[in-house]
Amino acid sequence: MRGLYVHIPFCVRKCAYCDFYSLPGRTELIGSYVQAVLSESTKYADLSFQTLYLGGGTPSLLGGRNLRTLVNGLRRSFSLSELVESTIEVNPESATAELLETAWDVGFNRVSIGVQSLSDGELKSVGRVHDAAQAIEAVTLALRLDFEVSVDIIIGLPGQNWQTLENSLETLTKLGVQHLSMYCLALEHGTPLALNPPDSLPSDDLQAELFELASSFLGREGFGHYEISNFARKGHECLHNLNYWRCGEYLGLGTAAASHLGGKRFKNRADLHAYLNNPIGQVEEVEELDAKEKAAEEAMLRLRLLSEGLDAGGLAERFGRENAAVVIGRLNGMAEKGLLVSDGSSYRLPPSRVLTSNPIFARVLLG
Amino acid sequence: MRNIRNFCIIAHIDHGKSTLADRMLELTGVIHTTSNEQVLDSMDLERERGITIKAKAVRMPYKARDGQEYILNLIDTPGHVDFNYEVSRSLKACEGAILLVDASQGVEAQTIANAYLAVDAGLEIIPVINKIDLPGAMIDECRFQLEEMLGIPGEDALLVSGKEGTGVPDLLEAVISRIPSPPDRSDEPLACLIFDSYYDSYQGVVPHIRLFSGSVRAGDRIMLKSNKKTFDVNDVGYFTPQMTRAEVLKSGDVGYLQATIKEVGTVRVGDTIISAAHPETAAVPGFRHSQPMVFCGIYPVNTNDYGKLTIALEKFQLNDSSIVYEKETSAALGHGYRLGFLGMLHMEIALERLKREFGQELIATMPSVVYKVVNTKGEALMIDNPSKFPDPVYIDHIEEPIIRARIIVPTDYVGPCMELSESKRGKLVSMEHPDGRRAMLTYDFPLAEIITGYYDKLKSVSRGYASMDYELAGYRTGNLVKVDVLVKGNQVDALSYISDRDNAVSKARILVHKLRKVIPRQQFEIPIQAAIGGKVIAREDIVPIRKDVLAKCYGGDITRKRKLLEKQKEGKKKMKMVGAVEVPQEAFLLLLKMEDET
Repeated sequence: MRGLYVHIPFCVRKCAYCDFYSLPGRTELIGSYVQAVLSESTKYADLSFQTLYLGGGTPSLLGGRNLRTLVNGLRRSFSLSELVESTIEVNPESATAELLETAWDVGFNRVSIGVQSLSDGELKSVGRVHDAAQAIEAVTLALRLDFEVSVDIIIGLPGQNWQTLENSLETLTKLGVQHLSMYCLALEHGTPLALNPPDSLPSDDLQAELFELASSFLGREGFGHYEISNFARKGHECLHNLNYWRCGEYLGLGTAAASHLGGKRFKNRADLHAYLNNPIGQVEEVEELDAKEKAAEEAMLRLRLLSEGLDAGGLAERFGRENAAVVIGRLNGMAEKGLLVSDGSSYRLPPSRVLTSNPIFARVLLG
Repeated sequence: MRNIRNFCIIAHIDHGKSTLADRMLELTGVIHTTSNEQVLDSMDLERERGITIKAKAVRMPYKARDGQEYILNLIDTPGHVDFNYEVSRSLKACEGAILLVDASQGVEAQTIANAYLAVDAGLEIIPVINKIDLPGAMIDECRFQLEEMLGIPGEDALLVSGKEGTGVPDLLEAVISRIPSPPDRSDEPLACLIFDSYYDSYQGVVPHIRLFSGSVRAGDRIMLKSNKKTFDVNDVGYFTPQMTRAEVLKSGDVGYLQATIKEVGTVRVGDTIISAAHPETAAVPGFRHSQPMVFCGIYPVNTNDYGKLTIALEKFQLNDSSIVYEKETSAALGHGYRLGFLGMLHMEIALERLKREFGQELIATMPSVVYKVVNTKGEALMIDNPSKFPDPVYIDHIEEPIIRARIIVPTDYVGPCMELSESKRGKLVSMEHPDGRRAMLTYDFPLAEIITGYYDKLKSVSRGYASMDYELAGYRTGNLVKVDVLVKGNQVDALSYISDRDNAVSKARILVHKLRKVIPRQQFEIPIQAAIGGKVIAREDIVPIRKDVLAKCYGGDITRKRKLLEKQKEGKKKMKMVGAVEVPQEAFLLLLKMEDET
């Protein structure tokens, strides 16, 4: 299993909470950016992929023509005949019928829509470009075109309460989305929201409460909580993301994109102009962990998969019994304290620990 | 008879001592330009706080109006109530003292305390009224106060403005005419007092010395009177204020000596250096030893740094001999030291200097005084650490150190000062009115009440006008209890404290509440309790944390996720583990801060 990720660093404008690498308003560079990505792709020519994910930024800003050029170009560089899942992230305001039809036409079968909330007040409070009506329209359109539809939801938006959140979830599940990603709002260093947090920002405790209520709501609606932030109807889990958590290989193209190939993790520099000038020379931060560290990292990642969990035997098989022993020792220690659930050979993070999983993961990694 | 004058300047804090010293250095050509930075206060910390901590000596050549050349040795002294000990050892190296009084403030508590020290040391005192350039200068009143409060003839006072230089030339002449020259005993065997010292990694320990008899030069073999250790002198010299080599130091001189003394503990301030050829020479008498009054534990944040802390303390003590320390082990904090200080300011400054000069991250525990615990067998135990108190059933009674404080305060603020003092268990001994404006209150306090912010509060209730000085006045039986703090059932020895019984519960409630605020929420519930013996007197619970999760995927940027977790873990290393609970360093000083606020 290998995934292909393409980063599209363009946005209409930057949302108040966002610290991803994206540049507002530089849409005139999109055409040359697509060409740069295709140049970069030749560096890794002939790799085959089972999933494709176009993320951002706002990939729907590409427009139909650029999207077609990009995908056709990728098909020339790589072997994409085995693709089982192709996702494009879209924002409601640019998820037009024309764009979605082109996406379907060039082979995408899944859209991830940046809905975030169906309360106009909440959307406005963090500078989202769209309103609730546009979001509903985009979801409806995508479902009508037969896409698998995933929506992003933010927990902890200014002014949010259970009533507004439940309303958003209820509407979306009724519309028929198959997948939800729910992220707790984080005040990332240097973002406008962190610099100027509004009084109406829910506390961490309220966020936790909202997340737990939302999780139960989705459970009742038939969604499985399969990863810390992800919920899906059975059989609709995101394969591309599952591959991340299973420590699979993936190639990231574009500025600021991260890759995991041949046992190494590496990342392109976050610099659009440098990327446009020299798309194949942007790799920085190459990292190859030793077997012990890899075993710990994989354990940390797989524990995010709440129902699948981690199989100790598999870990020993991949990294050697001795290398796996250290991390398994840590896991057993935590299982004894009730921080993990174990049947002796496999480990899972209990749902009650999801929101306080950081110290657990830190101990998996560092003892 | 040699033309030498050894003198110091003594004053209440902020009465202009350093500025006057600078003016004298300028007039004698030792320094040429006037900058705002005062020459004798060379440590950063002194400048930041505007107080002189360490005594130093400067040699000034001076041609007097009588046409003769003189050597003036100015020995600087600290001006805060905590540093009486350092003042006294500086005085010992002098024949005279300039007693400085701020014309706008008048005689203050430390003016009196310092004047007494100088009289006790047998020094000739030159009273000087400073800051006469200020519009609020009350010269006649100051003369009156000198007479009334100190018995010094007011008409003898010289009028000076250190800032503008007015009267300073006459003051230099007065130093020549009023202060006696040191007796010339160059023919007798060497005897010199170590009144300060510092450590240099190349030269080893460099003692600052005052010669009372004999002479010393490079090549001489010397002996430390206290421990009989001998050394060969490499070099001798003066401070000008830089170290300047000299051929010989003779009876009456002030200077330094280098003898490659590598072992830090060898040289003690107050010791006498004699000639190895005359081991029978007597020590310089009357040197007052420091008496630490306040104790606290210090611990390296990283337990591996214990060795470094040991070395740092050895060097530090060389520079500040008034600090005492011994090993201490805390169940909560690991291996560390118990340090004794002259007072609270001394403690604050010393800890700050330890951190800065030696690059050590330290946890300091709540300061304590030395209690006399008399057990049921009638044995008296001196205990400077509450966690070392015996079980209450074995205690017959506890005595605590009492200080006698002299507070001078304008009559308008007598009410608030008395109110504050009574809330600190003070007992009024006497009230006098040395002049129409001010009252002099004498109070007996438990020292424990004074070390936790009393002085700052006194300043604040008197709008800065009150001044205070104190001395130890023995022990008195108190109604005292030891309060223990438990975090999730584990007693934290470093948080135990002694309280008077009447206030124990209210104090414990505040502390427990504050601890709840500073200890971060963790994955489990954390009860915080305060208890006397086994009886819980206050409790609050820290609810478990509900959210500590990294959700976003960053397009598969696993490395970033991992690094965030590593960073988080790194931050936790700065915390101390009490059982399974992570306790931040600031928790150990909470009790102190709490006192500041109440």
